[in-house]
Amino acid sequence: MARSHPVVGSLGPYVFAMLAILSIWQLAVVALAPPPSILPSPTLVGQTLLEEMSSGALFVNAGISLARVSVAWVLSAVIAIPLGVFMARSRLAERLIDPVIELFRPISPLAWIPLAILWFGIGESGKVFIIFVATFFPIVLNTVSGVKRVDPVLIRAGRVLGCARQIDLFWRVIFPASLPSILVGLRISFGTGWAAIIAAELVASNSGLGYLIADGMEILRSDLVMVGMAAIGVIGVLVDAVFKVLQTRFG
Amino acid sequence: MKTSEQAVTRTPAPAIRIDKVSRHFHDAQGEFVEALRSTSLDIAEGDFVAIVGPSGCGKSTLLNMLGGFDHPSSGRITLDGQLISGPDIDRGMVFQDYALFPWLSVLDNVMFGLRHTQSREDARAIARQWLDLVGLADFERKSPRQLSGGMKQRVAIARTFATNPRVILMDEPFGALDALTRRFLQQQLLKIWREHRKTVVFITHSVQEAVYLATRVVILTARPGQVKLDERVDLEHPRQINDPKFRDLETRIFDALDEELAKTFKLEASDGYAD
Ligand SMILES: Nc1ncnc2c1ncn2[C@@H]1O[C@H](COP(=O)(O)OP(=O)(O)OP(=O)(O)O)[C@@H](O)[C@H]1O
Ligand SMILES: [Mg+2]
Repeated sequence: MARSHPVVGSLGPYVFAMLAILSIWQLAVVALAPPPSILPSPTLVGQTLLEEMSSGALFVNAGISLARVSVAWVLSAVIAIPLGVFMARSRLAERLIDPVIELFRPISPLAWIPLAILWFGIGESGKVFIIFVATFFPIVLNTVSGVKRVDPVLIRAGRVLGCARQIDLFWRVIFPASLPSILVGLRISFGTGWAAIIAAELVASNSGLGYLIADGMEILRSDLVMVGMAAIGVIGVLVDAVFKVLQTRFG
Repeated sequence: MKTSEQAVTRTPAPAIRIDKVSRHFHDAQGEFVEALRSTSLDIAEGDFVAIVGPSGCGKSTLLNMLGGFDHPSSGRITLDGQLISGPDIDRGMVFQDYALFPWLSVLDNVMFGLRHTQSREDARAIARQWLDLVGLADFERKSPRQLSGGMKQRVAIARTFATNPRVILMDEPFGALDALTRRFLQQQLLKIWREHRKTVVFITHSVQEAVYLATRVVILTARPGQVKLDERVDLEHPRQINDPKFRDLETRIFDALDEELAKTFKLEASDGYAD
């Protein structure tokens, strides 16, 4: 019966996962009785979570992290979407650019930390750069495949319906036809960017969820580390849900 | 209605002139394929020409060249004396798989070709008129995904006629539809054509469909395609498929087609031995 309700239906698995993790965790704490700095109990983490929330610190840090990821992600989209379109429409461009992308793609955003510091210093731009790297490739690749997979008959239909210029054809047919795939790229890349927030905020940060975790580690507060981790997980799921809604709307 | 029908039959200059057109390809294996060989055909303004022929004889190739998507290897195709150089809104096309834009509503699909020349309001008014004509006025806000195949093709027909093209090209437009839907769409197309007298080039595999709809039925030979038979259909609309004259014509066309089908099978057999 619960399945008939859409919200309950989609939240159900998450609630179940949460309960399962909590009970295994609690069992481990009871059975092994580790010191709290190694494995704090769920109640201790719950308390820390409430503290961090009521002081507002958690929201401020989460907001800062979200802002960094958003800026980098928008920047990435602004460059990656046109690049992807260009690659998909021009054989030469694809043959020149694709190998470069394939070479850079396997390099983890973490590997860029030293260069990010050298090039951009320890300010905001270095962090944005690292997330930019993390978000760039999924957008390019999904844009390329989306534009390439536009049904040729739709392009023909566009042309016999008066899209004489390439630019009209692009805006009226090719772009809307590839939009679902581009949206998938944007969604995936926000996820990869969000996952890279720790890497970005490891670099001399004094704010953000990554900082919260790094700081917790330094002062041996595993409960704080876990609050930061939980926040990243929950926000990641929420943002993804928003994208899914957008996707069904426009896809 | 009568007067316009007579006016059409005495139209002097051909609207479309297909003059000794050949088209050959090199297929994926690099084999030379001759699709059309020196085909000539004149199509008059207001004619409804049905083209029938064995599979692979170059019908789609010919239609694509009329659409401007492909070009003859030799020979010329002109519309009103002008060489066809590329696709243009004055040659509308209806595709077998509808080719509706899934991100647009039914109404926006029909408005698509009107937005270059009309204001938004005028485009909407014209589009509504056409949707009404194909009986889909109540579906204007729906997405194409929500429609059946027959309804999709009616939207596509409305979308093409709405732009008021000189010529309408249709490549097996009802090929994917079931027999009943097909029959209904044939009648609807006929009604629209009789009101608007567009020049139509219509490819079909169904001889009955050809004789039912067209003013002229053209049979192409097996590959390389050439005109084998060119029959005027001087039967009053609505045509009756069990009218002896209808039957006669059908038989004549089938006989011509049978010879070509036999050749096609031989061609395929020899292709088979070649590998
Ligand atoms: N772009 C192409 N490259 C290579 N060969 C092609 C190409 N287009 C068509 N052909 C070949 O030309 C011949 C004619 O093809 P066409 O599609 O015009 O036939 P058709 O009469 O429309 O057939 P059907 O009734 O099956 O639709 C076929 O042998 C086909 O394989
Ligand atoms: Mg064909």
